[in-house]
This record gives sequence, structure tokens and C-alpha cells, in this order.
Amino acid sequence: MAHELDFQRTGAKPHWKPEDIIGTISLKTLFFSDDYRHIALKGILSAFVMLALGGAFALVFRTELAVPGAQFLGARVYMTLMTMHGMLMVFGFLIPLTISVCYYMMPKVLGLERLAATRAAHWSYWILIGAVVLLVIGRPDFTWTAYAPMSLRVGGGLVWMGHLAILLVAISEFLAGIVLTLTALAGVKAGGGWKTLPMMGWASAIVGLLLIIATIPLGFIGLGLFTDWMEMTAWFDPARGGSVKFFLYVFWTYGHPAVYLPFIPAIAILYTLMPRLLGRPMWSYWSGVVAFVLLGLFAMPIGPHHFQPLYTISGWYERMVQIFTLLVFIPSVLHVFNWIATLWSDPIPASARASIPFKFMIASIAFVIYGGATAYVNGQIATDSDFIHNTYWIPAHFHAMFFGFAGQMAFAGFYYLYPYFTGRMYNQRMASSHFWLWQIGLFTKITMMFVAGYAYFPRWVYDYLPLKEWVMPQMMITASGFLIGLGFLIFVINVAWSARRGEPAPEEPWPVEHDEAAPSAVPAE
Amino acid sequence: MEYALGLSGTQAFLMTITIAITVLGLVGLALALFMEKRWRPTYNFEYLFIAGLLVMAFYGDWASTSIYKAYQEDLRASEKVSGKFVEDADRDKKFDRILTVVAFQWGFAFITEEKEMSRNAAVVKPGERVLFKVVTNDVIHGFNIPASGITAEIDPGDVRELWIRAPGKPGKYLIQCVNYCGIGHAQMKAWLVVEGDAPTAQLNGGETANGA
Repeated sequence: MAHELDFQRTGAKPHWKPEDIIGTISLKTLFFSDDYRHIALKGILSAFVMLALGGAFALVFRTELAVPGAQFLGARVYMTLMTMHGMLMVFGFLIPLTISVCYYMMPKVLGLERLAATRAAHWSYWILIGAVVLLVIGRPDFTWTAYAPMSLRVGGGLVWMGHLAILLVAISEFLAGIVLTLTALAGVKAGGGWKTLPMMGWASAIVGLLLIIATIPLGFIGLGLFTDWMEMTAWFDPARGGSVKFFLYVFWTYGHPAVYLPFIPAIAILYTLMPRLLGRPMWSYWSGVVAFVLLGLFAMPIGPHHFQPLYTISGWYERMVQIFTLLVFIPSVLHVFNWIATLWSDPIPASARASIPFKFMIASIAFVIYGGATAYVNGQIATDSDFIHNTYWIPAHFHAMFFGFAGQMAFAGFYYLYPYFTGRMYNQRMASSHFWLWQIGLFTKITMMFVAGYAYFPRWVYDYLPLKEWVMPQMMITASGFLIGLGFLIFVINVAWSARRGEPAPEEPWPVEHDEAAPSAVPAE
Repeated sequence: MEYALGLSGTQAFLMTITIAITVLGLVGLALALFMEKRWRPTYNFEYLFIAGLLVMAFYGDWASTSIYKAYQEDLRASEKVSGKFVEDADRDKKFDRILTVVAFQWGFAFITEEKEMSRNAAVVKPGERVLFKVVTNDVIHGFNIPASGITAEIDPGDVRELWIRAPGKPGKYLIQCVNYCGIGHAQMKAWLVVEGDAPTAQLNGGETANGA
């Protein structure tokens, strides 16, 4: 019984069939079709373009950082590249990619024919493209957090384009939130209630609500910075009567939930892939649902932990934020527990072990453990006021969570979907080299960032002292950055080549096959 | 070396917990993948796990709060009080040196009690208890002394105090801004000069990589 129920929940039934969508698509259909697959594909493809851009920027400034001292980038160019890297990766690549993969899977999993509010999905896409164009022309250098009043006093007459881009990102994400929430509700209606709603439906409802609520403050930040820059208002500039504290609270009301915006869809992709690759239900359905709800609830109030070393927050409020921050551990661990318990319950099919999505999935779990455990010291005011706040410790933490987990999980989803929209399989060897290059590169990069951060290497500098504790990690981070770049290049070649020349996908691209030697996988009832 | 927040003991323990959780998780994952034996955990096992996490969370909260409270009590600021310095002559007597720090785009200026100002160098004696009164008037700046293990940030218009015990070994120790404050951020650093002769740049009393 539980078995059947879970297959309904994980969406084994509706239209999963390999088809050559990409080969027969015209540009017009790709951009304007209301078919959920086309909407998702255009989101996925442009997210890869953003990844390529953001990654290329990173390689340029990583080359600058490889050795101490100023080499070939000035402070302004460095900071522009750094800001664009952050914004493109989070707003352009990570959130759109994870959400687009969800767009592709949701109708299949929830048993729907289409996405809800497709018009909002189109607008969300085009407004984001507008934001990116503004960013590229405006070339802001105020980092992705755009702290006022610094972001109102940076160089370049076009900085206001950066402020407007923030507003557009907020609108785009708001619309995506509407699509996700309404599609989840349509799934509830189609499936027969919340109790049988697939995990992806729960995740979409919660992340959709987070998007709708959290992007309102972000929109206000973008608009407020813009009008402040135009000297129409003075919300955030203390020299003209504005308040920095106000800026910090409003910004982080978006800024903290923002990290859950790619995180929750990535978890949803994991919950969708794992039972299908293993051929059996998750260890627990309700444990996952409870964890999603708690994650959504805890995400909202804890933004202020991002500025603990300021006097802006104090007293019982600061302590409450600290406690809730430490408690976020629980829903996150519930998810990880669920995944490991599922893996442990029955023998792992040989077919899963050999498949690339499964490998990426396991690596993602490893990275969420690696990056997540450090949250324990990050959340505490005392340790945060020592070596953590705004040293490389923080980029290490969020590269593990964002790229190591959410990004790689989205790639697992992409590899999984690949036969469904090309009708062909990717090249296994190239995909394997992509996988290993990324694991080695990411692990080295993140570990070395932790090492540099523990030695107080500050964020946002292009030039640094030749201290013994700093030189080696910086060189290693740069080297591993190039490994990751190489992996991405192989991925692009693989995807382009296999779409035409790859082996045609079988009717069921992901059959569950066991080793003959392994004991039966049917759970004893 | 005495850390300003007195973290060395507790911090080592907290880091041990962090590493232990990482190893536990990774070993669990590896076993789930490679062990022959299959095992289906029960809900009770999960509840036990959550209980452990709750204990961990509340221990973390308690450890952090008590360390930070003790530090603030040395400043006679039982809470962080925004916007004004603590006026307390008895408190001030407990410090060997009081320096007013002006953080600006882009640098630090240190003003001694004798009203002498120095750009980018705070001169102290080994082992002194030093009180910093930090102000800024342009954008948000950071104030981080790696050798003392302390970071503070300051809003424009705000004031705040922090204290350290100066390193016992003479030398130059880094003071740096850790919040992006504009184009000159990378150059926004100063030296905590502990008097004596040791000409090299030091982070934690160590040597530089190239020996310069």
C-alpha cells in the first residue's frame, strides 16, 4: 500500500517518454510556446549561458588572486567582475536553473498537462533577461548585497542600472513564485489532496510562498536605491537623513530566504530522482514534508544573523535570531537523514550506481553535509565575531551549499531529463569526466576557502599581503577553479554533441536493474 | 596568545563538534553506499537524532551567549548599546590604553588619550589591555584584528567599543576592514604595532611566505 502510494507521490505514471524536442524546436516555439517543456528548456538554456558568463568572470579574477599583490586587474574592474559573478550566479544561474528543472518535472510529477500561470512564467523569464542586460551595461561594483550607503557612492554614472536590475530581479522572482504556488495548488486538486501530494508539490508550494513574500522587500530595496540615487528620496543614506539600519533589516528579510530559493527546489529534485533511480519509495514521506514546512518557517526571521557583528542588532532579539539559526539545522538534517536512510534501507541497484544523475546526487549530499555542518559555528555570535564574519569562511560555506549542493543537484536533474527532451543519451565517459573534475575541483576549492577563512582572509579584496597562511590556499582555489571550468567545457561539448550523435534513448531511459548477486530489493512487508 | 573573546578553549570544542558532524554524515553516506548489510532505521532513531541536535543547538546558544556576555561585561556594556560610548571612569582604569579609532574610506586613524593621531598604526606594548572606541561617518566598515580573534562592524554615525589583550610578542599585526566599503577596500588596513623589533608582517605572530 505504502509502496503504491509513494509511486503516486513520486509521479511514476504521467507522460515520461523520450522525445526529440530540442531537435524539432524553432526559436519561436522555444521563446513563446506555452508548453511547460519549452518554458523550462528556455530557462535551463539561458541559465547555462549565465553560468558560463559568471564562471568566466570568476576565472578572470581568480587568475588575479592566484598570487599576492595587484597583477592585471584594478580594484574597480575586479569588483565589477566579482559583483557580476555573484549576481549572475545566484539570480541568473542558480535560482532560474533549479526552478526551471522543477518547471520541467512538476507537470509530470503532479499529473498535470501544463504549468499554471504560464504567462507569469514568460514574464518572469523576460524580466530577468532585462535585469541581466541592465547589469551588463551598468557594470555595478557594489557586490550582490549592495549595502547602502556604499552602493550609492560607487563609481560610474550607470550604477543606477544596477539598482533597477535588483528591482527587476525581484519582480521576476515574484512571478516565478506565483507560477510555483499555483502549479502546486493545481497538483493538489489533480492528485486528490495534500496527503498524497508528491514531495515536489510541497516544495513548490513552500518555495513559491517564500518567493512571493521575500521578493517584496527586495523590490523595495531596488526601487529605494534607485530613487535615492536620483535624489528623489533619502531612504538609506544617513548623510541625507536616511537609515542604514533600515536598509540592513529590509535587505536581509529577502537576503536570508534568498538562500532557500535554490535550496528547496534542489531538495525537491532530489526527492523526485532518488525513488525513481532506486525503484522504491523514500524512507519517510512525512518526515520530508515536516522538514519542508519547518525550513520555510525558519527561513523568514533569521536574516539578521548576517550582520551580527554590527551594533544594529542586540539583546534578546539577537539571541532569538541565534537560537532560530541554530534550529534551522533540524529541518536540514531531517532531509539528509531521510536520504541516507533511504539509501541504507535496500540494496542500491547496479543501474543507479552507473548512472550520472545518481553520482551527482550522492556528491550533492556529501557537499550539503560538508557545508551544512559549518553552519553550527556560523550561527553563533561569539565565533561569528572571531574568524567567520566576512572572511573566506563564508564563501566556502555558501559555495558548498549553493554550488556543491543546489547547483550539482540541478545538474543531476538536467542529466536525468536529458533523454526526455533530446531522445538521446549523453556520452557516459564525457559525463563521468565532468563529474570527477567537478568533485575534485569543488572539494579543493571549498576546503581551501575554509583554510583561508580560518586565517582571516577578508572577502572582496583583489590585492593581499604575502602571508604564509594566505598564499597557498589562494593558489589552490585558482587552480581548482580552472578544473571546474574544464569540467563545464566538457559538459557543454557533451550536451551539444550527444543531442545530435548520442545513442538513441530506450523507451525507459532509467530502468531499475539489480545485480544478480544482490539480495532481493522487495521490502519484506 | 590570549584571544579577545576568550574563545580558544570553547572554540576548539565547537570546531570539534562541527568536524564530528561532518565525519558522521559522510561516513553514514559512505556506509549506505558500500556496506553489504542493509538496515532500515526506525522513526525512534530519527527522534533520538533530533534530540541530539536540540541539545547541540542549545549548547551552542549557551556557549556563544556566555562568551559574548563575559566579553561585554569587561566593557561594562551588558548589552550592545548603539549610538553612545560607555562613560565609566572605573571601567576605563582597567585598560592600559584607550584608542579612539576613526574608520573611513579608506583607512583607520588612531587617536591616543594624549590626542596624538596616527594613520594606520596603533602602537601598543606587549600584553596590554587595549580599549578601542570605533567610529565611522561614511559607510559601513569592519574592524578585524586576526591576531586577537575579534571582528566588529560599524554603521555610519554609530559608535562602538571593543577590547583586546595585545600579543605578547613584539611585531606588526594586521588590522583590516572586512566589509566591502568601496573601491579602496583592499587597501583599508592598519597595523597593530607591538613595540619591539620585528620588522615582518605578521598575521598570528608567524613569518611571511617570502620572508620579506
